[in-house]
Amino acid sequence: MNMSMSRVSILSVLTLILGVGIMTFVTSSSLLAMFTQAVVYAISALGVGFLLRQNGLVSFGHALFFGAAGYGMGVILQLEWMSAEAAIFAVLGGLAVMGFLMGLVIVRVPGIAFGMLTLAIGQMAYLLATRATGMTGGTDGMSVAWPNEVFGFSQSVLLKPAVLFMIAWVLMVVVTYILLWVIRTRFGAITEAIRDNEERARFIGITTTVPRSLIFAISGVVTGIAGLLSSFNTGFVSPENLHWSVSAITLLMVVVGGFKRPVGPIVGAIVYFLFKDLLGEYATHSNAIFGAALIAVIVFSPDGITGAIERAFKGKKPAGAAHQPISH
Amino acid sequence: MSQYVLQAQDVAIHYGGVKALDGVDMTLEKGQIRGLIGPNGAGKSTVIDAITGRRPLTRGKVTLMGQDVSHLGAVERRARGLSRSFQRTSIFHGMTVRAQVELASYKMGMANSAEDAEAVLKELDLDRLGNTIAEDLGYGEQRRLDLALALVGRPQVLMLDEPMAGLSVKESHDLAHHLKALTSKWDVSVLLVEHDMDVVFGISDVITVFELGRVIAQGAPAEVRANPRVREAYLGSTA
Repeated sequence: MNMSMSRVSILSVLTLILGVGIMTFVTSSSLLAMFTQAVVYAISALGVGFLLRQNGLVSFGHALFFGAAGYGMGVILQLEWMSAEAAIFAVLGGLAVMGFLMGLVIVRVPGIAFGMLTLAIGQMAYLLATRATGMTGGTDGMSVAWPNEVFGFSQSVLLKPAVLFMIAWVLMVVVTYILLWVIRTRFGAITEAIRDNEERARFIGITTTVPRSLIFAISGVVTGIAGLLSSFNTGFVSPENLHWSVSAITLLMVVVGGFKRPVGPIVGAIVYFLFKDLLGEYATHSNAIFGAALIAVIVFSPDGITGAIERAFKGKKPAGAAHQPISH
Repeated sequence: MSQYVLQAQDVAIHYGGVKALDGVDMTLEKGQIRGLIGPNGAGKSTVIDAITGRRPLTRGKVTLMGQDVSHLGAVERRARGLSRSFQRTSIFHGMTVRAQVELASYKMGMANSAEDAEAVLKELDLDRLGNTIAEDLGYGEQRRLDLALALVGRPQVLMLDEPMAGLSVKESHDLAHHLKALTSKWDVSVLLVEHDMDVVFGISDVITVFELGRVIAQGAPAEVRANPRVREAYLGSTA
């Protein structure tokens, strides 16, 4: 489970090569567009999964970061405050600060209450976006006016399905690599200690609120990256990006994929989009079917698909929920 | 400078009208083991909570090496050398034994945290289990890991809340023997809450007896054992 960073590097390179293979051999634009959407959601789920893995906290409101990234970008570009490149970093920096400050207050709240707080804050942002018509376009949403060139590349090139897919894929690999690195640092160990036993952590000299807030901020930024990609993909952002259902779907991906392994959320996102695609004309009922799959996963493999795969290789029994508390 | 490593003066914790602790005075000298005994609910664990900052004081003062630490939080008190274990095993279940002890040592500011952790693990015979995930350990091993987490960073004062709870007689006596050896080897002072009277009377230099949040007796083990009030309140006439 705890592979070295050199092995992580090798796997990352192989995953990048796989991405090049997909980009090269998949010629259908609609399929590539679906893959891109899956990867965007995978990045979003990586953020939610990272929060759950490191802090043991379930967020029902991470759509806040997903939508806020798009709105932040849209507003900055509309008001022409800075270049698009600078705006990307400003938005992500803003999300980091917002996540950290929010975290300082809400990560102290344990369990389901934390989830409800994130839900409430997320829905407040949703309502704000629908009501602040002058700035956000209200329920109609707003276009995100990306310039013709971003980082020196023509927008028409960047928006080609294969290129856009590869951008999202590379970002997913880079984000995963960084998260895996963070987990292996001393900071990662500190946050795992706090997650396992906050009181004991204090009695070995760990101050607990700041590390937990930093994890919340990192997870928010990761989900924000997905929000930025989505706004670049569609050139549009609407209150739907902030809606709790986006948070819920992302959380479902995390649970189905498994949160104990950092790549679990990616697997969950892929499974979700495969489901949607395979269901074809029944796709309108995909959430119901995915919900049934979720129940099956929780009953038969509480640590998700990745947990089941790991057990299949190692011949271990399913880890009961009691072994690793998800909140304190 | 005070001759005491630790001193609690007039310590009180009240919950409304309930006096969990009331006017407790207690001292601990360097290298001393002080056993705390008394019936359930007498205030033994609460006094540890009060000294370590887990519960705020209603009244009184706690000094460590002559310095008032009453206003400090748990993290600061631990950094100054006030360490504890818990009544219920308190470890990091998802981490390996070595990783968590090393992390604790690092947080205690040890120059070579890996070396310090290894020394503690060796001392408690946990070094061979270093790479085991804590939740996979046996109960007795988890208790020892709990003690290891309290021991890293060479604390001045170690407060142990029923460290022998749930252990077999042999495990209890082995751990008691270890504790006694540690106090002189590492120059650590110990406050020991324990229900195993053989252990408490066997390794304590002094004993404090609690009843209903107050100290009813303290002194050398033989003195306490002979105290009629203690016999009546806790030890029983056959003790």
